[in-house]
Amino acid sequence: MNLKHIWIVFSKEVKDIVRDRKTIITSIVVPMVIIPLLSMLAGGSVQNMQNDIEQNVTISLTKDSNTAQIREFVENEIIGDYPNINLIDVDDPIEAITDSEVRIVLGIEKNYKEKLEQGKPFAVEIIYDKSQTKSEGSIYIVSDAINEFNKKVVGQRLEKMGINEDVLKPVEIEETNIANDEKTSLSILSMILPVMIVILISAGGTAPATDLVAGEKERNTFEPLLTTKTGRASLLIGKYLTVTLFSFVSAIASVFGMFLGYVIDPKAITMGAGTQLSGFSIPGLAILMILMICVLMGMTFAGIQIALSTYAKSFKEAQTYLSFLIIVAMIPGYATILMQPNEMPLYMFAVPILNTISAFKIVLGLNINYTYLLIALASSLVYVVISLKIAVSLFKRENVLFRS
Amino acid sequence: MIKINNITKRFGDFTAVKGLSFEVEKGEIFGLLGENGAGKTTTLRMLATMLKPTDGTAMMAGFDVVKESEKVRSKIGILFGGETGLYDRLTCEENIAYFGLLNDMEKAKINDRIKVMARVFGMEEYLKKRAGKLSKGMKQKVAFARAIIHDPDIMLFDEPTSGLDVSAIRDVHEFIRTCKNEGKTIVFSSHTMSEVEKLCDNIAIINKGELIEKGKIKELKNKYSCDNLEDIFIRLVGGKNES
Repeated sequence: MNLKHIWIVFSKEVKDIVRDRKTIITSIVVPMVIIPLLSMLAGGSVQNMQNDIEQNVTISLTKDSNTAQIREFVENEIIGDYPNINLIDVDDPIEAITDSEVRIVLGIEKNYKEKLEQGKPFAVEIIYDKSQTKSEGSIYIVSDAINEFNKKVVGQRLEKMGINEDVLKPVEIEETNIANDEKTSLSILSMILPVMIVILISAGGTAPATDLVAGEKERNTFEPLLTTKTGRASLLIGKYLTVTLFSFVSAIASVFGMFLGYVIDPKAITMGAGTQLSGFSIPGLAILMILMICVLMGMTFAGIQIALSTYAKSFKEAQTYLSFLIIVAMIPGYATILMQPNEMPLYMFAVPILNTISAFKIVLGLNINYTYLLIALASSLVYVVISLKIAVSLFKRENVLFRS
Repeated sequence: MIKINNITKRFGDFTAVKGLSFEVEKGEIFGLLGENGAGKTTTLRMLATMLKPTDGTAMMAGFDVVKESEKVRSKIGILFGGETGLYDRLTCEENIAYFGLLNDMEKAKINDRIKVMARVFGMEEYLKKRAGKLSKGMKQKVAFARAIIHDPDIMLFDEPTSGLDVSAIRDVHEFIRTCKNEGKTIVFSSHTMSEVEKLCDNIAIINKGELIEKGKIKELKNKYSCDNLEDIFIRLVGGKNES
């Protein structure tokens, strides 16, 4: 291996890729524009739907209970204090739910008034369509209105009996959330960020890795390279470093895109759930360690991508292998997305990809264990060496290199 | 300049080249003649150190292709037929310079040599243009320059005229003559008899990986009492293939 040759190959490959508008647009410009746009659109549409669910609750009465008396009762007693709930008249209430004309249909006993006066319970049936988000989302608003009516009646009855309303509340629940805004934000990030990083890094190197070996073979630029004084290991390392660099450039562009989306609309990144991504206080050493682990994972991916591209008979075959690699990278990410930072078992810090995800989770979850981080770092280093060895060995094998 | 000694290449059970031996003198154009799949490309790939011989070896400009592959590569230039194999997004100058750098040349020397070659091949006008924007003929000249940027002693041509039109073929032939005039030793593989007859001093005919005849064209014509190389080739290869 010759450092000068590696640098010559690396600088040529970088120059070549930078001039490739298609690669630059898909791996740098698109993530920086599309990601904020998508998160804004997705976040915006979730927020719009939430507002619509809360502000425009349309209800109707079943045919049996649609009498003037019951209508008046519902309008005055149940939804009187809820301007966001509108009682409308429809021909077929059930059909009206299906057609999204109304969200909820109430069925109220005809003799409700007598039962109310006698102090007996009467039934209110809530009919809704679980397959419709707006119908299902409106239940709690209508139930809330009915519960308020219940409370009001109970209060009146107890007052009549000279009993304090507090007698019905032997326990008063008080909730104290020990997580501050920072911890809540980090907890959400610890779910989203590791998966995103793994996917972005694995996807970022796909285009250059495909182009730099399988593409070269197909364009007949590869064989002349092998006849130069430069050894195969130097050629490979130069190409490998290029793939690693562009994996990170693409991942950074995507993270920048997400950040841009956050700056434009802070709620967008969490699909309108609302969180403040500010005031982090993660120790510098932990940040440094996850960054190193992240770089090592990128290098491992680059090694595998170059190996697959070398093995592939054609550009198309390389694309198929490398697309499959992204799916393989997604599996551990999604399998652990809901795992909490304190639930990550020790073995996960030694398993490829999972080690990076676990390290990210414990650091972002402020559940930092430096021994675990060291295990993740050491195992990542081992995987870099293994992937590189595989790539070099394939690159030197005649039956692979001249496979057709 | 080139001494091939009992070189053999096997790919699993298949033997592509069987115990090939011949020598090429300095400044000579040596034609490697054979049908498709005869073992010409495999032989040239072994001489270029891209493939390792299974048995035997070859000395190129005094260096062993097995033991001193890096030194061998610094002494050879290679030109393949078909696609020119240039980087479309690099300029012609950058394409040529890249191979100079990979062959450990100094930047100043590369620039000087590019200037000379640009004049020789008439590339001055498009030297700064990206290779992807050039015509096939222009690309071919860049490929010539790239192959000899490091001034190799030996040039290997692997069916360099395959798929080319008449004027491009003439350019290749001209380039081969230029190399000869510069004193380079040339091994030239082809299955086109007329160009071999036109260019080569000595030839070797190979069939199914085996050497079946070698010598000067004139001597072979006398030996087989034939007027042209094609008849000799058909007689030798046809006979072998029928048996």
